[in-house]
Amino acid sequence: MHTLKENYQLVLAFATVLAMPLFMQSGLLAAEVLIFAMAVLGCNLLLGFTGLLSFGQGIFFGMGSYALGIMLVKLNMPLILVLPLTILVGVVSAVFVGWFSIRQRSVYFVLLTLAFAQMFYFLAYTMTDLTGGDNGLLGVPRPPLSVFGIELLPLESSWQFYSFVATCFLLVFWFLQRITTSVFGRTLLAIRDNEIRAGAVGYDVRGFKLAVFAISGGVTALAGGLLAMMAGIAPLSSIEYHTSEMILVMTIIGGTSNLFASLLGAGFYVLSADWLSSIWPRWLLLLGVLLMLISLYMQQGLWGVLEKLWHAVHRRRRREPAISATESEQQS
Amino acid sequence: MNGTTGPILRAKGVIKRFGKFAAVQGVDLSVAPNTIHSVIGPNGAGKTTLFHTLTGTLAASAGTIEFDGIDVTRLADHQRVRKGIARSFQVTSLFPTLSVRENLRLAAQGTHRMRLSDSWLPPTGSRSCEEVVSGILERLDLVRTAEIPAGTLSHGQQRRLEVGMALAARPKAIFLDEPTSGMGVDDIDAMKSLIHGLRRDHTVVLIEHNMGIVMDISDTVTVMQLGQVLVEGPPEMIRNDERVRAAYLGNMITGGAA
Amino acid sequence: MTLAVHNVHSYYGKSHILQGISLEVPEGSVVTLLGRNGAGKSTTLKTIAGAIQSRQGSIQFRGRNIAGLPAHRVAGMGICLVPEDRGIFKLLTVEENLLLGLRKESPWQLEDVYRLFPRLKERRRNGGSQLSGGEQQMLSIGRALLNHPRLLMLDEPVEGLAPVIVEEIVAQIKKIREAGISILLVEQNLEVCTQLADHHFILEQGQIVYSSSNDEFRMDTAIKDRYLGVNV
Repeated sequence: MHTLKENYQLVLAFATVLAMPLFMQSGLLAAEVLIFAMAVLGCNLLLGFTGLLSFGQGIFFGMGSYALGIMLVKLNMPLILVLPLTILVGVVSAVFVGWFSIRQRSVYFVLLTLAFAQMFYFLAYTMTDLTGGDNGLLGVPRPPLSVFGIELLPLESSWQFYSFVATCFLLVFWFLQRITTSVFGRTLLAIRDNEIRAGAVGYDVRGFKLAVFAISGGVTALAGGLLAMMAGIAPLSSIEYHTSEMILVMTIIGGTSNLFASLLGAGFYVLSADWLSSIWPRWLLLLGVLLMLISLYMQQGLWGVLEKLWHAVHRRRRREPAISATESEQQS
Repeated sequence: MNGTTGPILRAKGVIKRFGKFAAVQGVDLSVAPNTIHSVIGPNGAGKTTLFHTLTGTLAASAGTIEFDGIDVTRLADHQRVRKGIARSFQVTSLFPTLSVRENLRLAAQGTHRMRLSDSWLPPTGSRSCEEVVSGILERLDLVRTAEIPAGTLSHGQQRRLEVGMALAARPKAIFLDEPTSGMGVDDIDAMKSLIHGLRRDHTVVLIEHNMGIVMDISDTVTVMQLGQVLVEGPPEMIRNDERVRAAYLGNMITGGAA
Repeated sequence: MTLAVHNVHSYYGKSHILQGISLEVPEGSVVTLLGRNGAGKSTTLKTIAGAIQSRQGSIQFRGRNIAGLPAHRVAGMGICLVPEDRGIFKLLTVEENLLLGLRKESPWQLEDVYRLFPRLKERRRNGGSQLSGGEQQMLSIGRALLNHPRLLMLDEPVEGLAPVIVEEIVAQIKKIREAGISILLVEQNLEVCTQLADHHFILEQGQIVYSSSNDEFRMDTAIKDRYLGVNV
């Protein structure tokens, strides 16, 4: 019963995924965009839809990286099993972190996610047998996706890998779209708007926050795992504070009002980083300026800017004659 | 309270402390079903704090609260909603970015247990709570504003929606905290009839400063002072009670205490 | 006329708290503002002080319209509000709290305040959080005096205080009044009001419903029951 209008976000995502190979030369770079887009979706689910500002997304990203790396390198498990288990690791970590953080009010929640981020980083740094410590977990392979010995999809070449990542991304996008438009998702919006009221009309706010945290953790961990496969290494930096920060920045730049905005934010950051860093080592300065502009003038992020342009173009079209009075009334 | 049915709400020895300060110091309250029961009192009486403990917004420090035969003392506010208790807030508390209809749907949905299918399916069909929501929109005269964000309503409309959010839960008892606060004269009259009409299907517990409303529509009035119940009875009795008079007018230099 | 408020409307967000109030405080007099909870008494004081912006009407202070001015400008012109919660800075000592309010040209200097409130002198080095309710009230009033007020506004100065302290504070307010400062007093305690005031206004549901001299007010029990009690 879903019309095209309701699904337009998914259509946009699909179109973007198809378009990227046409415009980009590096399959791995394209894959990186989608990988971070997944992480940003996980962060946006918390921030834009539930009103939770988490400085701990790097935890789940890193845990996913390490989990996949350990399972592939040290336990030699088949990829088809490793992926869902990686998601599970993310879910479990998120429930653990969430259980303690969610009890606290806004500022303390934020601080706790930050504290946990530091804690997990420290653990990863010291448990060198498992994680490789400073060096990271090396030699993460990109085995073909196979079931019962039958090879479904080789992932050797960068564009093969990209198509695999794209599939994962679209599945995640679809999944999150169903969730955010569901009864559960609408309740998240209510919690974002007014937590006290949500509790007063009968919702177990803590339970909802924990559930959305778990979903976010799973999605983010999957992204982290895919990055490890892409880079061939599960680096320590995945679980570093900087990763949490980066994911948040991408979320805010893209915009927190819908899911496609997350793809915009990730795309912008990853592509700018790749393109600008070779030209100008101080490119992060530009990013800082952009963040300031967004905070002051464009709080809806890049999506908001595009939306305004779209409306402006539409309005110009409508200035042509032969519009009836009723039509222009419906405009506002 | 005569009759075959006992009180729908029975609170005994309710105490609420904030650190060393006891805002509510041992309150007993019985509310009869299908009545309008007002709680009034001068500054610092503890009315709103008592409300919070009855609705579960805050946990009582001591005492018991029995609702419709069930001990709800240890239940959180979202759990009490399922037992039939709903409330409105003194300072308007809605979901401002969501439409009026969505606000009411969420409030109606809140009494149902969340099932797994709810995390997957949108709020259409049976999950839209269409009947309840439409009924309330009609009753509150908010049909024309159903699709606009709740934050853009006028103050009077918002206060009505506040009551509507409580009604959407189809509660047995509604707790209204200063429903007419900040309203103009016309809106106040409409709200007064609205509350009076609730009696038929619900029990209403009311905090109000507008004595015109309190004395006109209440069946029972409980007067609180400094965290305790001072007097309780029908409006005519309370109007002329000396103790109430002294509590409000403070006839000695004691800052309000009798 | 120190203060002349005319048809002022004031809101908390969308809540229309003051629905067109008018009142006056003649030079050197004490005027009280009475009413039940929720009538809008504190809102009136905050609107005059500029903490809440009025949306309609005029507020004339010593001949000048101050409606719309920000709070710090209003305070600078000589209107001092002693709020209901007293507003003591808990991390500062009594003396530091007082000195914050001090203006060089004020006829009230630190020693004058200590003379009026000897207890504060005893406690001058105590932290703001170590004071009793009565001492906090004295500190709050003292700090306002150091700010050279032409109009002193007191929001429930004796609420929750023991009878002995209440008497002390009432006596001190009388002395302040003798020094020529106009006072606008919000108070629920009738005895205190009738002892101090020249004129009374009663506020209900955001409107002034009664205005009379102290003598008339003292004798009118029906009015008290109707607007301050519960016998509507």
